[in-house]
Amino acid sequence: MSTTGKHLRPVDASTVVLAIETSCDETAASLVMGGVDVLSSVVSSQIDLHAQYGGVVPEIAGRAHLDLLNPVVARAIVESGVDETRIDAVAATHGPGLIGALLVGVSAAKSLALTWDVPYVGVNHLEAHLYAGLLEKPELELPLVVLLVSGGHTMLIEMRNHGEYRLLGRTIDDAAGEAFDKVARFLDLGYPGGPAVDTIAREGDANAIDFPRAMRNDGLDFSFSGLKTSVINFVRKNPAVRTADVAASFQTAVVDVLVHKARRAAEQVGAKGVVLGGGGTANSLMRERFSAMAAADGRRVLLPSRAMCTDNAAMIGAAAWYRLRSDGPTALDTGAFPNLRLPLMDGSW
Amino acid sequence: MMILGIETATERVSVAIGGHEGVLGMFEVTRGRRHAETLTPAIDFVCRQADVTLDEISVVAVDMEPGLFTGMRVGLASAKAIAQALRVPMIAISSLDLLAYPLRRTDKVIAAVIDARKGEIFYALYRQVPGGIQRVSEPTAGRVDDLVADLLARGQEVVCVGDGAVRYHEEIAAGHRVEIAEQFFAYPSSAPLVQLAHAKALREEWVNPWEVEALYLRKPDAEINWSTRNDGAGS
Ligand SMILES: [Zn+2]
Repeated sequence: MSTTGKHLRPVDASTVVLAIETSCDETAASLVMGGVDVLSSVVSSQIDLHAQYGGVVPEIAGRAHLDLLNPVVARAIVESGVDETRIDAVAATHGPGLIGALLVGVSAAKSLALTWDVPYVGVNHLEAHLYAGLLEKPELELPLVVLLVSGGHTMLIEMRNHGEYRLLGRTIDDAAGEAFDKVARFLDLGYPGGPAVDTIAREGDANAIDFPRAMRNDGLDFSFSGLKTSVINFVRKNPAVRTADVAASFQTAVVDVLVHKARRAAEQVGAKGVVLGGGGTANSLMRERFSAMAAADGRRVLLPSRAMCTDNAAMIGAAAWYRLRSDGPTALDTGAFPNLRLPLMDGSW
Repeated sequence: MMILGIETATERVSVAIGGHEGVLGMFEVTRGRRHAETLTPAIDFVCRQADVTLDEISVVAVDMEPGLFTGMRVGLASAKAIAQALRVPMIAISSLDLLAYPLRRTDKVIAAVIDARKGEIFYALYRQVPGGIQRVSEPTAGRVDDLVADLLARGQEVVCVGDGAVRYHEEIAAGHRVEIAEQFFAYPSSAPLVQLAHAKALREEWVNPWEVEALYLRKPDAEINWSTRNDGAGS
């Protein structure tokens, strides 16, 4: 039995990657061919398990991944329609994320790679989100600006080439998704906060309250902590206000800033298009506003399907293909990296 | 029959292969890098050195708790993945059984004690029976005082084994007839795992990979750490 890499076939359009994603509260597996062709993508969400706690409980997530991963992998292989002997590499998210959750996917992926005698590829979850958009439109020309919005991240990235990223802007305090969760919790809308706010905001007046747009014309960084505070203060001072109006006005304030800065970023670097990524970009107002921006600017705006925005393993399989091609296999003595960052060209952060 | 045994319940990472002829090869390390980094290369190493390919494995044995969460998870995820890929059954055995089994020649009561951290221990009591050991108390998560009271009530001679016994030897041995097994036995090992799994495999007492469930003597801390969403990837 040899370790990874010995029998590495050339990485090409026929290369099949089995990818695993367990960084947070979704257990997912996917088979992707040639970095773009999704043969199967299975996602098992644990949202119901965590909802009663109002957030992801790391220990519960780890246990659930352990129970769910084998059936999810089995289903991904069956649904792909290819025999498992066709799998050329096994990939897993190895960071960033919850350590106990990451370890399940990493350990399983390395063991599968060892057993099948194929390479293992450890994948950066943030890089994978950048690839989620390209998966659906691989012909998109680079450079691109990617707006990544999730529970843990809000950032604007320039993707110059595969593996070549520059950070254009990021949140200096709360992530946008975090602001949604906190506001949803304060308004008693339930968990997860993004979809909860999105739903009730449809019945509200987005112009009812003029919440602040922090740093709107100030560089490409974001700040959402002040907005969250002003929502809380406003509701305390005006207890009779309609919750739907608060939600709609809050959501508009967030989306306003995101759209405005993404447009400026695209202009600044001469990007051919703007790609959205991360669970936060499933927000319906954001999708509406970005579509409008595309029409107005004549710039391509790629709104990946909701399934591709939220955590999934197909994006891990796509990123893994490019990484395998450029860097080769990841060593089997590599663990998980809960605080992994996106590899940036200029080393800045 | 060739059994792959994976043991990661404590600080130790231990991998063995064996079958009818006993344990054929073993790797064990109790310090250094962490479980996730060590385990897969260890499996590869043991197989190569013993000249066994993974395709020859017919049963995957794994420790099913009690133990420390991080290590347990690495061992269980790896063992289940290998069994699934090879389409072979699994046998899950408690870490406390693995601690007690090497002491099976004693006629004293055996107390297997794992340090559960946070001031707690996991423990169970055993006695010798022909050909092995028998558990005489259910695996328990508790405090050292609980164990001491339990042992006092029995009034029998006791040998305590495990990293919990080593850490709390003064409290456990205070005042009554308790012996602490030597440091060598302080961590569960994959060698008794393969031995015990072999006996079970002969009786076909195995399960499918997706049926393996850890014991989880301790409930998760349902206290919510909101900051984890900052560190984590979110969704
Ligand atoms: Zn994500």
